[in-house]
Amino acid sequence: MTPKLKKSLLYWLLLSPLCVVILLPFGIMFVTALRPRDELFVYPPTWTFSEFRWENFAEMWVKTNFGGALLNSLYVSLTSTIIAIVLSIPAAYALSRYRFSGKGLYRNFLLMTQMMSPIVLVLGLFRLMVHLNLVNSLNSLVVTYVAFNMAFTIWMLQSYFNTIPRELEEASWIDGATSFTSLVKIFLPLAVPAMVVTAIFTFINSWNEFVLALTLIRSQNDYTLPVQIFSQVAGRYQVEWHHVMAATVLATVPVAIVFSWLQRYLIRGMALGAVK
Amino acid sequence: MASVTISGVEKWFGTLQILHGIDIDIEDQEFVVLVGPSGCGKSTLLRMIAGLESISDGEISIGTRMINDVPARDRDIAMVFQNYALYPHMSVFDNIGFSLKLRKRSKQEISEKINEAAEILDLTPYLERSPRQLSGGQRQRVAMGRALVRDAQVFLFDEPLSNLDAKLRVVMRTEIKALHQRLKTTSVYVTHDQIEAMTMADRIVVMNKGRVEQTGTPMDLYDFPANLFVADFIGSPSMNFIEGIVAADNEGPFVMAKDRTRLAISRESSAALGQKVVYGARPEHLVLASGNEGFDATIEVIEPTGPNIQIFADVAGQRICALSTERRTHKPGQRIRLHCPETSVHLFDASSGARI
Repeated sequence: MTPKLKKSLLYWLLLSPLCVVILLPFGIMFVTALRPRDELFVYPPTWTFSEFRWENFAEMWVKTNFGGALLNSLYVSLTSTIIAIVLSIPAAYALSRYRFSGKGLYRNFLLMTQMMSPIVLVLGLFRLMVHLNLVNSLNSLVVTYVAFNMAFTIWMLQSYFNTIPRELEEASWIDGATSFTSLVKIFLPLAVPAMVVTAIFTFINSWNEFVLALTLIRSQNDYTLPVQIFSQVAGRYQVEWHHVMAATVLATVPVAIVFSWLQRYLIRGMALGAVK
Repeated sequence: MASVTISGVEKWFGTLQILHGIDIDIEDQEFVVLVGPSGCGKSTLLRMIAGLESISDGEISIGTRMINDVPARDRDIAMVFQNYALYPHMSVFDNIGFSLKLRKRSKQEISEKINEAAEILDLTPYLERSPRQLSGGQRQRVAMGRALVRDAQVFLFDEPLSNLDAKLRVVMRTEIKALHQRLKTTSVYVTHDQIEAMTMADRIVVMNKGRVEQTGTPMDLYDFPANLFVADFIGSPSMNFIEGIVAADNEGPFVMAKDRTRLAISRESSAALGQKVVYGARPEHLVLASGNEGFDATIEVIEPTGPNIQIFADVAGQRICALSTERRTHKPGQRIRLHCPETSVHLFDASSGARI
C-alpha cells in the first residue's frame, strides 16, 4: 500500500462519521419515497423494498399541490435573489472603493444583523406586514428575504470586490471611460463569479426558509415548498410519509444538483481575482 | 504632445501632508524621471498628473490648459501601471483597442492602430491571447501598447519595470527609451531605481519626503549633487562619506577626519576653516595611490564584479568603497593608500547637508 493511499484511507475513515450523519437522512428519504405504501411501517425497518414505486411522485404531485408550491417557491426565491444582488452591488462597491464616515459602523451593523435569529423578529415582522397590507402575499416574503439576505450578500460581494485591483478601473478611466462605463465594461464582468456564488447562497437561503413563510403566508395556495411539505405532516390524522418524502426529494435534489454544478464558478472566481 | 507644468502642488491626506509645494516644469518631448525612496510622494504626484488623486493645492497644467478639475478621461494622457492593469477578461487586441472603442473610432481605424502598435512592440502573434497567457514582459508590452495607440499628449509610467526580472528590466528599459526617441511623446516616469533614472531620463527629479531635492540632467546630478541626499541616492555603489573638520597646512586645505586622517580638498573650495563638513568621494574616483598621496586604508572585503573590483576598506573608522580596474591581488587586512583627486571631491555642510 502506497503512503498516499494509506493517507487517503485514513482521511476517509476520519470523515466517515460525518458522512453517515449527513447521508443517512438522504438515504431514508430516498427509500421511503420509492416504497409502496404498505411497506412504510415494517418492523424492523429495512433498506430494501419490493418494488420501485415511481407513481408515488405522480400521486404526490397531484395530491399535495406540489406544482403550485413549487412555482411559489421559485417566484419568491428568484425574485428575492435578483433584488438582493442588484441592491447589494452598489452598496458593496461603495464599501469597497470609497472612503466615507461611518463606514466601519455600517459594516459592523451588517454583521450584527446576521447574529439575530429571524424567529426573534417574527412577531414584529408580522405586525409590519399587517401594517403594509402584505400578509398572505408572496411579496411579503420577497421583501423580508431580500432584507435578511442583503447583509450577507453585501459582505460577500464586498470582500470579493476588494480583490479586484483598483488599477483596472483607473486604467479604464485614463483610457477614457466614465465611471459608469468602467463599472459595466470592466468591473462587473470581473465580478460575475462572485455574483453567481452569492446568488446561489441567497437562492438556497430563500428556498429553504421556513419560519417566516409559515408565519406570513396564510392561504394554502400561496404556500412555499417547505411549508407545503410541512402541512402534509403537521395537524393530520394520517401522514402519507411516502408522499412527504417524494416531495422532499423533489424539493432538495434539483437544488443540490444546480448548486454543485455552479460551484465551479467559486473556484474560477478565486482564480480570476488573482490575475496580475 | 505638450509640456507639463506643476506649480506649488501640495497633497494632504487628512492632516498628513504628503507633498510640500512641488514645482516642476516638464518641457514638450522631454523624458522626465521622478526618482526617490519609497514613500517620497513620487507616485502620488504622478497620480495627481493622471487625475487619479485630487490636488489639494497648487496647479497642474498640460500645455496651456489647467487640468486641476479635469477628470482623468479628459486629460488626454496615457498611463502604464506597475502591475500593468490589463483587463483580464479581454484579449490583447481588445485591451489595446479599449480606448479607441470608447472614442467610437471606426472598426477599420481601430484595427489598423492596434496592428501598428503590435508591430512596434512585437505583439502581433499574441493579439488573440488573454493577458493570463502572457509572460511578464509581454504583459508589460501590452500595457505599453495600450498607451501607444492613444496618441496621448503625455505618457505616464508608474514603476513599469519593477515586476520584471533583472535581465528583462534592462531590455525593456532600452526599449522604452528607444520608443521615446522615436515618438518623442512627453513622458513622466516614476521609479525608485536610480540606475533606471540615470539611463532613461533627459532630466531627473530627485524627491525625498514630499519635496524636490534636485532637478537636472543625469550627469549634472551625478557630478554636482546639490546635497547629501542626492549624492547618496544617485550612483551605485553610492558615494563614500567621511565626516570631518576643514583645516589647512603648508600643503593646502584638507578635511581632518576624526582619527586625524588627512583628506585633501581643492584650494578653490569655499569651505571655511573649522567648518564641520562631510567629505564625499565616489568609489570610482578613489584610486590606489603610492607614496605620500592620499590616505591610509585597511582592506576589509573584496568583491570582484567583472569589469572592476570593489574594495571595501576602513578609513577613519568608516567603511568606504573603492572601485579598481587593476587585477592586482589584494587581500583583506592589507594596508593600502587611496587617493581622490581634489577636483573630484564633493564637500557638504555637515549640519544642512548642502553642497559647498
